[in-house]
Amino acid sequence: MIRGSCLCGDVRFEISGKLSEASHCHCSMCRKAHGAAFGTYAAAKAAEFRFESGEDRITRYRSSAEVVRAFCARCGSTLPWPRETEPDVVDVVLGVLDDDPGVRPSHHIFVASKAPWYEITDTLPQYATRP
Amino acid sequence: MLRGSCLCGGVRYEITGPLRGALNCHCSMCRKAHGAAFRSRAGVKAEDFRWLQGEDLVTWYETSTGTHRGFCRVCGAKLLSRFDFDATWYGLPLGALDDDPRVKPKRHVFVAYKAPWYEITDDLPQHPELPQ
Repeated sequence: MIRGSCLCGDVRFEISGKLSEASHCHCSMCRKAHGAAFGTYAAAKAAEFRFESGEDRITRYRSSAEVVRAFCARCGSTLPWPRETEPDVVDVVLGVLDDDPGVRPSHHIFVASKAPWYEITDTLPQYATRP
Repeated sequence: MLRGSCLCGGVRYEITGPLRGALNCHCSMCRKAHGAAFRSRAGVKAEDFRWLQGEDLVTWYETSTGTHRGFCRVCGAKLLSRFDFDATWYGLPLGALDDDPRVKPKRHVFVAYKAPWYEITDDLPQHPELPQ
């Protein structure tokens, strides 16, 4: 079981299965939404993901044709969102996990849009957009 | 002049002075607030910072006593931190900048609380807490 929660604790969720496909995303939308150098996400099966509390506290924002992002209305923590193009997948933001996700990011995506103030110094594969 | 904005474009700001003390913070509150491996931020003097539009869209959440983190209530972008104990400067997350700040984080702080899934591979100094 992998648990996660927002900063204020209003929103709590749990994942009963394993996460996969972890990566760092350097797209400008992730950078803005997170206010950080990059966002880090892994995939959960929708059937294994559930909100324990606070789902009604989530604000959703469509940032592109394929992505509707989620965050806590009270504290602003970025939260997992269902993948629109694959309804059986939830994209889980690793930063709000309380437990070790059990996976490690395996690559960087949208590196062409990377922040000028951040250097990638690891040896993970880098993709200009998606693999 | 540096400009920044949220993801939906409702909130815009500009900065007319230098950014100071850029760093990467790995504390658990920054990780939760940003939903990211760490927060990259710099200090900006309050007198050098100005909201251009959408200040009324900024929701503030007090994450520890006297520290308020601001985000856009429409799109959730993390925008600014302000402090009750020192109103003369703000904490600026670098991620919402539209312009190149021409500064880069120079150290990692609160590394003792780093995410287990993120490995620091650069040569910047690492501090287990926040050095005084």
